[in-house]
Amino acid sequence: MLITADGNHHTGEPMNTGVAVQSVVQIGDLIPRGTRMNVFQSIYWVFIALGTLVGVVVVGYMVYNAYRYREGGSHAEDGDDERPTLGEIPTGGGKGRKLFLSFGLSAVVVISLIVWTYGTLLYVESPVAAQESDQEELEIQVVGRQFSWEFVYPNGHSSFELVVPEDTRVRLVVTSDDVFHNFGIPSLRAKTDAIPGQTTETWFIADQPGEYQAHCYELCGAGHSGMNANVVVMQQSAYDEWYANTSGGGGNTSDTSGNASENGTRTTSEALTA
Amino acid sequence: MSSIKRWFVTTNHKDVGILYLVTSLFFLIFGGLLALLIRVQLLQPGGTILADAAYNQTVSAHGLLMVFWFLSPLAFGFANYVVPLQIGAKDLAFPRLNALSYWLYLFSGLLLGISFFQGGTFSGGWTMYAPLNVPIYMPSIGATTTVLALLMFTASVTVGGVNFLTTIHRMRAPGLTLRRMPLFTWTILLTVWMMLFAFAALLAALMILSSDRIFGTVYFAATDSGGSVLWAHLFWFFGHPEVYIVFFPALGVMAEIFQTFTGRRIVGRKWFIASMVLVAIQSFMVWMHHMFLTSINLPVKTLFMATTIGISLPFDLMVFALIYTTIKGKIRFKTPFLFAFGALVLFILGGITGVFLGAVVLDYEFRGTYWVVAHFHYVMVGGVTGLVGGIYYWYPKITGKMYDEFLGKVHFALYFVGFNLVYFPMFLAWETPRRVFDYPEAFTPWHQLATVGAFVLGASFLVMFYNLYASLVTGEDAAPDPWRYVTTAEWAVPSPPPLENYPGRPSYDGGALQFLEEAGPRPSGIAAADGGAGTRTDGGVAATADGALAGGHDHEESHASIWPFGLSLAGFFLLVGLSGVNTGGTAYVALTVAGFALGAYTLVGMARESQTFHGPSGPFGESWPFAKVENMKLGMWFFLASDVVLFGAFIGSYVFIRVAFGWGAWEPVPHDPVPGLMNTYILLTSSFAVVMAMVAAQKGSRNGVVASLLVTILLGIGFLGNKGIEWLELFHEGLWLSTNVQTSTFFLTTGLHAAHVIVGLFIALYMLVRAWGGAYLDDDKPVEYFGLYWHFVDIVWLFLFPLFYIL
Amino acid sequence: MNTKLYAVIYVVLFVFATLQVAVEFAGLTYWTAFWLIMALSAIKAVLVAAYFQHLRYEPRAITYVVAIGVVAAIALTAAASYSITGT
Repeated sequence: MLITADGNHHTGEPMNTGVAVQSVVQIGDLIPRGTRMNVFQSIYWVFIALGTLVGVVVVGYMVYNAYRYREGGSHAEDGDDERPTLGEIPTGGGKGRKLFLSFGLSAVVVISLIVWTYGTLLYVESPVAAQESDQEELEIQVVGRQFSWEFVYPNGHSSFELVVPEDTRVRLVVTSDDVFHNFGIPSLRAKTDAIPGQTTETWFIADQPGEYQAHCYELCGAGHSGMNANVVVMQQSAYDEWYANTSGGGGNTSDTSGNASENGTRTTSEALTA
Repeated sequence: MSSIKRWFVTTNHKDVGILYLVTSLFFLIFGGLLALLIRVQLLQPGGTILADAAYNQTVSAHGLLMVFWFLSPLAFGFANYVVPLQIGAKDLAFPRLNALSYWLYLFSGLLLGISFFQGGTFSGGWTMYAPLNVPIYMPSIGATTTVLALLMFTASVTVGGVNFLTTIHRMRAPGLTLRRMPLFTWTILLTVWMMLFAFAALLAALMILSSDRIFGTVYFAATDSGGSVLWAHLFWFFGHPEVYIVFFPALGVMAEIFQTFTGRRIVGRKWFIASMVLVAIQSFMVWMHHMFLTSINLPVKTLFMATTIGISLPFDLMVFALIYTTIKGKIRFKTPFLFAFGALVLFILGGITGVFLGAVVLDYEFRGTYWVVAHFHYVMVGGVTGLVGGIYYWYPKITGKMYDEFLGKVHFALYFVGFNLVYFPMFLAWETPRRVFDYPEAFTPWHQLATVGAFVLGASFLVMFYNLYASLVTGEDAAPDPWRYVTTAEWAVPSPPPLENYPGRPSYDGGALQFLEEAGPRPSGIAAADGGAGTRTDGGVAATADGALAGGHDHEESHASIWPFGLSLAGFFLLVGLSGVNTGGTAYVALTVAGFALGAYTLVGMARESQTFHGPSGPFGESWPFAKVENMKLGMWFFLASDVVLFGAFIGSYVFIRVAFGWGAWEPVPHDPVPGLMNTYILLTSSFAVVMAMVAAQKGSRNGVVASLLVTILLGIGFLGNKGIEWLELFHEGLWLSTNVQTSTFFLTTGLHAAHVIVGLFIALYMLVRAWGGAYLDDDKPVEYFGLYWHFVDIVWLFLFPLFYIL
Repeated sequence: MNTKLYAVIYVVLFVFATLQVAVEFAGLTYWTAFWLIMALSAIKAVLVAAYFQHLRYEPRAITYVVAIGVVAAIALTAAASYSITGT
């Protein structure tokens, strides 16, 4: 269902909020969606919970058996009639059934977990169809170089600080001018490789105004440890004001032109997804 | 023989095993000290012990040393010592090549050490991502030396892999079929299978990188044509199998120790083995899960997500098999078992956190963070834990002395606490970017805890070293079987085992291990390494291989060879020289020339020695599925199979770059296919000439052999001359290796092929001289084996010609 | 295995090499020519391996060893090249 919805929107039709909401209702309970933070948190904690459970059970069972069958313990003679002898041809012990039962169980857990997250992967890979608010998306080019990040806005404005409005889907188109970097904003769960000669994409929606940090996540040379950038999330109105004053947007225009350039952004990204 | 000299000339598998073990522990200390430096730097955000570049070098060298120079060699120390004993062989198939593997390994490690003093070692991480790894971004000579050190290490692994494959497949005792093989030997067999192909891909990557750094080709700098991603593909195609290459031997050690100290046979043995085989195959189909955030497309991501999950499942089965083995056991918590048991716990934690990474959406966020660092340390150092168990397990066998049990337990306690103290906080502080020392304040306590843990872990090894050293002197003498409930053959012989390993011919034909009386001296020469005309009459040496019981020192003398050491030393000089040959001045050029000359001298020396030096000769017991193939021939085929992957990776790189560039927009570098066609004719004819040489040898015609070899050589020279003229013309037009990515791929790929032709010509020349003296008439095998190589070089050209000249 | 058989194979190889260049000038579309030329190379390679390296007369296991190498190399090439195509 989700995939079909995706397909519709890849054709570049205008955003249909109705369809988006509908698909939220149908699968929203099962497959985490929304901002990247939401998506990550819900999957991460399910994994942590299950992982801890499995770890405790398995290691606990190991330790229990090791103690129960310790030499000198009351069960140490249980298998005395079938101890291995030097020089025998290696063979296996019994309990094949138990082995396969445990194996099957673990396989079911692992496979269902991964299949479950695959739905979210599809959503993360092309979120346009499932976008939950009718906010337009903003596309920003990110260029990594030793050892700074440059952000280029649709109006041509460029800066070393990433400024974005809250509750808007921000699409980052990332590349590098020199070596292999990786651009990530941990608090907003956006991350992608910055590869020279290639572009990659990622996106995020920031639901809290404030300051965040972006880091480089691929060793890129002497200054790698300090290759950070500020990320500022503003309220929409503040952002509009800021954006209108950026050089590329032209200082001579008013608030409405800010909206106009966002519409322009919208068109670009539609063209890209098409 | 003096005791010092003995170690330089030994080719005995047990001696070489000890050399491997000791050397790998030396590199553990080296890499471990670097790790402590890292942890000290991380005590506070933005630590200042190391400057930026120094920190990057430390991180890189730590990773490279631990993965390459410590982990696998430690495992191969055991493999050398134990595998021949377990399968009932007197030695490896090619004892001198085994010594060569070791010396190449040692000298490659020394190369890495030298790199620190050549303007700084490599500083781009052990993954060496492009294009940071090319000279414009990393100009130091030391970085080049590091790449060459790794190249030399790869050569060592390839030689060793061929040797172990031949040995394990061909030389098992009667009755010891593959199905019945001990689990440790099984893990080594699968490890060397993976090595054969994975390291060939790494060899290609390193050759290209060396060429980029020394000759100025532009593979990885050609970022507009996917050069950066190409490195990632080549590296991870090797890199993921490498994880299992490192881990499998530890798994084998754990399986042996579990069985011994629980007094149980492993549960579901055949499924355990099947799982490992499955993993070994699948390991070559998962590499792109290291690249989920690159520009690879969604279908590929989906495919590799599926294969990644697929590869985790067999491990579940193996873990459960080990756990169920303890049931109904009589478990003795001796040091080896504590380490093996601890290793399993750590591996389970590493495995669970690995499943997180299999979920692509989570992987996106974990990429480049301490989650990855913590996860792979749990897995890899979890493997180390198993191998440390192996040290205690086989220490009595190797030294003949018991270690101190109390100190062993102290070691384990410190180790296990230290391990979890250093790596577990990394999960809690996982948002720290990897290889970064300026992390958010909030994580400081976790990092400080980890630093404390690192020192505890380090200190635990001091206890081990003291224990192992002191026990050599004061330890009780060890019985042949100090453990009880062991099954494998190494425990059926004294500790330490005598030079000839067994008191008779080991056999499992009667349903259990027994030593049969040595048969009288058999006709020798079946496995003659390079049987010349004189071989059959100089039975003295050959007979010792069989009648080793009476051997003693004579045996050792006859199996002494200084050439493996000499050849590795030559390689060392050559590579030090090459590292700075274009920027470092005349001393480097002189070293290059000296290394080359010494290399040629030692190769001839080694080849001449082949006429009197013989590896173990058959008939052997079980040799499935290669029963009808003689050792030398099989070794040649294994080598050629790895060469297939080497050239395959070169051709693959060309195809990849060309696809990224735009296939149709790419013009072949030579303007005219005719010189290439001429060379195709020449090579085909030379192949035919080699076939004629073999036919002549079979017919006993000395003149025929000499004439055919001469024709082969002349045609080979013609091939090179023709190519030389073609290259010179291109150079005159201003087309050089560094001109663009087209010329880089053309010159380097056809150049690698030309280098193969040159090597072939030297062999042919050597054989021509011997053929003149009448060799090969009653033993044409050397001609045949040379032919296998020469025809392979021919086949490669059959693909290079259309790809680089026509299409 | 006799000299005559070797000679015949040698002639076939020679002819196929010539054919490859002829295909280039035959006026076929690029990809038709491409696959034709690669097929000719593959046939030549199989002939050399089967007869000159006498794999035909060796245990099949050796052929499999080499085949594994070939498959690995092709898998690397194909998957890596495919991964960078837009889909």
